[in-house]
Amino acid sequence: MNEGIAVLKVRDVLLVTMPADPDDATVSALQSRTLDAMEQHDVKALILDLSKVEILDSYFARTVAETARMVTLMGGETLIAGMRPSVAITATELNVTLGATRTVLTVDRALDLAGNLSRNKSVRKGRPWL
Amino acid sequence: MSETEQGTVPIDVEADIAVARRLVRDIAGEMGFGVTETTRIITAASELGRNVFKYAGKGVMHWRTLQKEDACGVELRFEDHGPGIADLDAAMREGHSTGGGLGMGLPGAKRLMDEMDIRTSVGEGTTVVVRKWRQR
Amino acid sequence: MSKDSTAVAEAQTEKAGKLRAEADLDMLKILVDSVREYAIIMLDPKGQLVSWSPAAERLKGYTAEEIIGKHISVFCTAEDKASGKTERELETATREGRFEDEGWRVRKDGTKFWANVVVTALRDVNGTLRGFGNVTRDLSQRRESEERIKRQAKEILEMATVIVQVWDGIILVPLIGMLDSDRTQQLMERLLQRLTETNSPVALIDITGVPTIDTQTAQHLIETIKAVRYIGSEVVLTGVRPAIAQTLVHLGIDLSGATTRSSLTAGLRVAFEIINIHVARESAHGAAVGK
Repeated sequence: MNEGIAVLKVRDVLLVTMPADPDDATVSALQSRTLDAMEQHDVKALILDLSKVEILDSYFARTVAETARMVTLMGGETLIAGMRPSVAITATELNVTLGATRTVLTVDRALDLAGNLSRNKSVRKGRPWL
Repeated sequence: MSETEQGTVPIDVEADIAVARRLVRDIAGEMGFGVTETTRIITAASELGRNVFKYAGKGVMHWRTLQKEDACGVELRFEDHGPGIADLDAAMREGHSTGGGLGMGLPGAKRLMDEMDIRTSVGEGTTVVVRKWRQR
Repeated sequence: MSKDSTAVAEAQTEKAGKLRAEADLDMLKILVDSVREYAIIMLDPKGQLVSWSPAAERLKGYTAEEIIGKHISVFCTAEDKASGKTERELETATREGRFEDEGWRVRKDGTKFWANVVVTALRDVNGTLRGFGNVTRDLSQRRESEERIKRQAKEILEMATVIVQVWDGIILVPLIGMLDSDRTQQLMERLLQRLTETNSPVALIDITGVPTIDTQTAQHLIETIKAVRYIGSEVVLTGVRPAIAQTLVHLGIDLSGATTRSSLTAGLRVAFEIINIHVARESAHGAAVGK
């Protein structure tokens, strides 16, 4: 069962949708495909859609944090959208970190925020990073 | 599931971690665990299975269902013949507020499950047993 | 002649004394038999039963014929018998005069009951140990009441975790009482569920009703805040009054994952800002429109 990740570019926003229980190869693909896309296009924001994700273990979390760090270094921002309650609770108990990312409830909200960023509108006062 | 059931999953390649997760999901589902509890069990299994692969290269996950008078549960036993854990105390303390996910994630797995026993011997291997219970 | 009368008088006094003693003994026996709440029995110095009473029979199930001569440990649970509890009880009573205990006792039919037991060493005028008095009281009912109260307290605490939508996008949790692991679990699941269902960016957690903050409660709060942020919402923590603020600083607790305010009113204002609604500070009447 290998549902891959879905990568969509909308203007200068990269939208990556993760499947429910990605194996390690799929998780690694998140990083490689993000980097590929950022190499080819001007990407101001990476939106990571986790709304389908049921398990977030330390490897997945670490990959997300690393990817976010790379995106930051390349001048972009990472937004994480749609994390499920059960995953959020487990992530807290596992004490993982998602690094330089910002979390939002939905992909819609993430697109709004990212749109503001790319159009250089003043972003509303940021809350502390996770 | 009213009688005890059990089985074994080999952990030889990286992809086996995902296989173990899926099996654990099925077992947890049949035992009647809720969404959050199931997520905890699968996540703990993923962490411990990953340890086996990362530090020993290969090993096994034995699983079995448990029955008590007023509760039922699942037990997962991760066995390897790898290098063993030199400083178990340090391993149980690490990861706290450092995040990053380096190290073995043992405190995390312990937090997610109800019981955890570790037996390890340098040069011989490690066995980690975890259990989760559900009130009937 | 007077010697005879003295002897007769003595004999009469002795007889009268005996009669009185018998009468006293009868009364004592009636006392022991009549007391219904306490099972009063006597043991010999070895701990074997030499007396029984109706109350004892009612409480423990044995008749006098069945039980007299048996050792007191027959009323103990298997664990207590194995650990030699009875011997210790008798030893203590011998040494200090009395022994009191609360614990499980076993009836003839094998059922257990929770009892208060007082064992008293009985000594004669010379100080010789003549035996023991054992007074047993059935506390089953009291224990049942205690268990029921504990259960109800737990239920009340569960009901006390209320989650209310106060505005589009703002979920309010007025916390009452302390947060233990179970309650935090429940709170996190329910709160996160509500936040995602309603797409609410703000969780307004008010701790006015939390009497004190200890490290455990603070840890649970921190975890709840983390989890809320993971799903993409923010926490506004209100009710952080001076005493609480002091405790938090002294304990070195970092609540920087949330916006904190001392009053719910101030917190509500922050919540509205987050969802981009400006609330005028002056009194409500006409202020929003502008006079």
